[in-house]
Amino acid sequence: MVKRYNNFKEVGDTVVLYPDNYINDIEGEKLEELCTSYLERGFKKVVIDFSETDLINSIGVSVLIGMIEKVRDRKGNILFSGLKQVNYDVFSIVGLTKHIMIFETEEDAIGGNEKAAGAVTTA
Amino acid sequence: MKDRMLFPTCADGEFFGRSREIDYICRRAADKPSPAIFLFGRRWTGKTETLRRVYRELFWNQAKVAPLYYQFKGYGSPEEFSEDYLKEVLKQYLAFRLRDARYVRQEISLDKLERLLVDNDLYPLADLVSIHREARKANDTTAALRNALASPMAVSSRSGIPVYLILDDLDKAAGSSGGKDPQMTGELMGSLTLGQTSFVASASTRVPFFGRAFNGSAEAMELTGLDEELSASMMLDLCRQYSVDTESEILKLAANRLEGNPMYMKSLVWAASKEGQGLSTLKEFADLYTAELFEGNIGLSLRSALGLSGINGLRVLHACSVAARPISDEELSERFRQGAAELKDIIEGLSRAGLIEVNLGSIKWAGDAAIKDFIYFVYETRVKGRSAEEVKTYLAREVLKEGFNFRSSKISVKLKDEAAEIIKAFNNQKILKILFRNQSFAARFKKGSVKGPGEDGEVQLPQTVGCFDSERLEAGEAGPPILVAHGFQNGRYDSGNEVVWMVSIKDSASPVNIGDVENFLRRSQILRENFRAAKLVRWMIGREGFTSEAHKRTDAEGVFSSDSVQLRIIKENLADKDAASRNAPDKIVPVREFEVVLPSASKAELVAAKAVEEIGTEMGFDDAAIGQIKAALVEACINAFEHSRLKVAKVFLRFVTSADRLTIYVQNGGVDFDSPAEATEPAADALPRKRGWGFELMKGLMDEVRVERIRGGAKIVLVKYLVKKGDGRNGQEI
Repeated sequence: MVKRYNNFKEVGDTVVLYPDNYINDIEGEKLEELCTSYLERGFKKVVIDFSETDLINSIGVSVLIGMIEKVRDRKGNILFSGLKQVNYDVFSIVGLTKHIMIFETEEDAIGGNEKAAGAVTTA
Repeated sequence: MKDRMLFPTCADGEFFGRSREIDYICRRAADKPSPAIFLFGRRWTGKTETLRRVYRELFWNQAKVAPLYYQFKGYGSPEEFSEDYLKEVLKQYLAFRLRDARYVRQEISLDKLERLLVDNDLYPLADLVSIHREARKANDTTAALRNALASPMAVSSRSGIPVYLILDDLDKAAGSSGGKDPQMTGELMGSLTLGQTSFVASASTRVPFFGRAFNGSAEAMELTGLDEELSASMMLDLCRQYSVDTESEILKLAANRLEGNPMYMKSLVWAASKEGQGLSTLKEFADLYTAELFEGNIGLSLRSALGLSGINGLRVLHACSVAARPISDEELSERFRQGAAELKDIIEGLSRAGLIEVNLGSIKWAGDAAIKDFIYFVYETRVKGRSAEEVKTYLAREVLKEGFNFRSSKISVKLKDEAAEIIKAFNNQKILKILFRNQSFAARFKKGSVKGPGEDGEVQLPQTVGCFDSERLEAGEAGPPILVAHGFQNGRYDSGNEVVWMVSIKDSASPVNIGDVENFLRRSQILRENFRAAKLVRWMIGREGFTSEAHKRTDAEGVFSSDSVQLRIIKENLADKDAASRNAPDKIVPVREFEVVLPSASKAELVAAKAVEEIGTEMGFDDAAIGQIKAALVEACINAFEHSRLKVAKVFLRFVTSADRLTIYVQNGGVDFDSPAEATEPAADALPRKRGWGFELMKGLMDEVRVERIRGGAKIVLVKYLVKKGDGRNGQEI
């Protein structure tokens, strides 16, 4: 069953989060709260789809790292999708790309299509 | 929301450039032991604003010391001062302890204050009120004074929190009795010299105790006017807030004339806004300045502050203000036929007002240019009987004249210095020949066209070993200055590769003409005698270019020719050794600059990102490069906001686009930016660290990132190189 809301979607035991176009401290914290609430409800897989995100600043990055830690502490799985080139560059500089599976589309991420991993959207 | 207003200050958007001082005083306040600081500065340089902001910072943002702010005023008697001082100390301590700003602002009677202290279990402090009452009842002025002056120390010892005293206008401490109350001054100095309470004190003169020396150890901090760059930025910002049309050169001129005095600059902009006038031309500035000085806010403030009631005082002041050298008191006495006692009173009064400095009988003018103009106006109208209109017209003309001189001196210094700097940076590099051929350059880029006769070779520049003005070799020669640079070509330091560059610089508003060229040819021929063995290269630089006759003659003689635009491009290319190889003739476009001021607001950095997107797109950066620049700029802005001492500080951005790169300068009005973090490798499977990625992101996304220390803080410089679309990714070598 798929439930789509404004900024998240539930697909079975997976939740897909859709952050805003700019991830800073405030947006990052909103995202983290949303993610935490899903983990507490027992969701094990979190996909963050960045298709609508143009910029992520360093504080946003630090919040995302915190989220990854939280998901891992709960033995969950977190995946990224829909990354624009600049956001991929940012994650790459920080070293996150070595720790996270990145998919071109959220469908690939939900389906766990590993062949599609490492892709960046051209949009 | 809690009411956080303490002592009145100007709007944060109208306060500029003192964040370093505020930060320093706040840091020193918390030091153990905390040194005494004397903050000196002319009238209206922002001492009160600075100290009130120090107080606000210490009141709300720390708990190590209890701040107490006290502004001295004229007092009828020492008893009156004692009561006022004691009340301020007690109510401000109460306010700090309860973190309730209302007590700071409200007038509270001694009785009510006593009740409040008792209600809050501060009995020992309530005792200070009783002692004061007893002393007043017994007419014991000394006891009342000592009780009041010792109250900060009593608060410290009884509360356990050290008190930090912020004493404003200390030079007014001796009160309305004209500085002749030795008891009050003596007791005050004694209490400060004891060193039991740390303090910062401001004064308009360097002798706040009327000639008495301060026996304790103290640091002196001088609050001068804001520097030209900051002043011009401040005025630009105010002009934007008040919708006043401006021109940056006029703002610099105004800042210079007003000596960076924040009150004068604000008054001028307010007056322009009120009159619906601009600050775009020299005439507009001259008219506004004179009107403001005589009839506006500046004049009103000066009139009340200087209190020029006596005609003799005015005469003395005028004589000091126009004297080219210090004057002795005997000379003044003789000139104005005044008795020694009267003259002494006048001199002491003027010295107290910070208008003159007296040293061993020698009297020197210590006021600023605006006060000098104001005194001239009052003197000419009151003493000489000239009409106000006549004096205004004369002063406006003087301001205009000075403005023209200022402009031309700026140009002159800038172009000659710029040329010398460029010659010294030649460093064996190659530069496109077209940058040394003004005619070809002008034809090629006329009206944005890139078509025209080609000049695609390169000039091999020498390794310069020395550069000097030709003056010492050609005494008495007329004409534009010539720089002589001596160096070696092809990276070989032998006589066969010796070369001399002779560079003529014409920095007036008219182009280089045939007469200038002939003058240069003749003089360079004579100068050449000094360098017989060397190869000679001649180069003429004209700020406004060349006439067609001059073009023909320079080309026929093989003399290089450049205008200020070419010079700037040469400078840009020389800044980076690799730039010359990246450059190609069709990529040369004149340098353009854009400025953006970001307010302190949520997501203000996105405004910068939007601006750079527009600029980058126009320059031809591809989407990926624009994304990288935006992300790096966002980081720089966040860093700048984070390190602005003031929570509502602004961030100033300057975008410089040139042939091959975009350079962005990000500057705040505060303390240094974060230093780039040391890169540390995390354990193989560990997640990256959470914080401290700002500089690494900037470095990873841009081609160059550097932090430049400047007066009043630091600025981040971001550079991204441009490679045209289709040549590969922007920012990569091809």
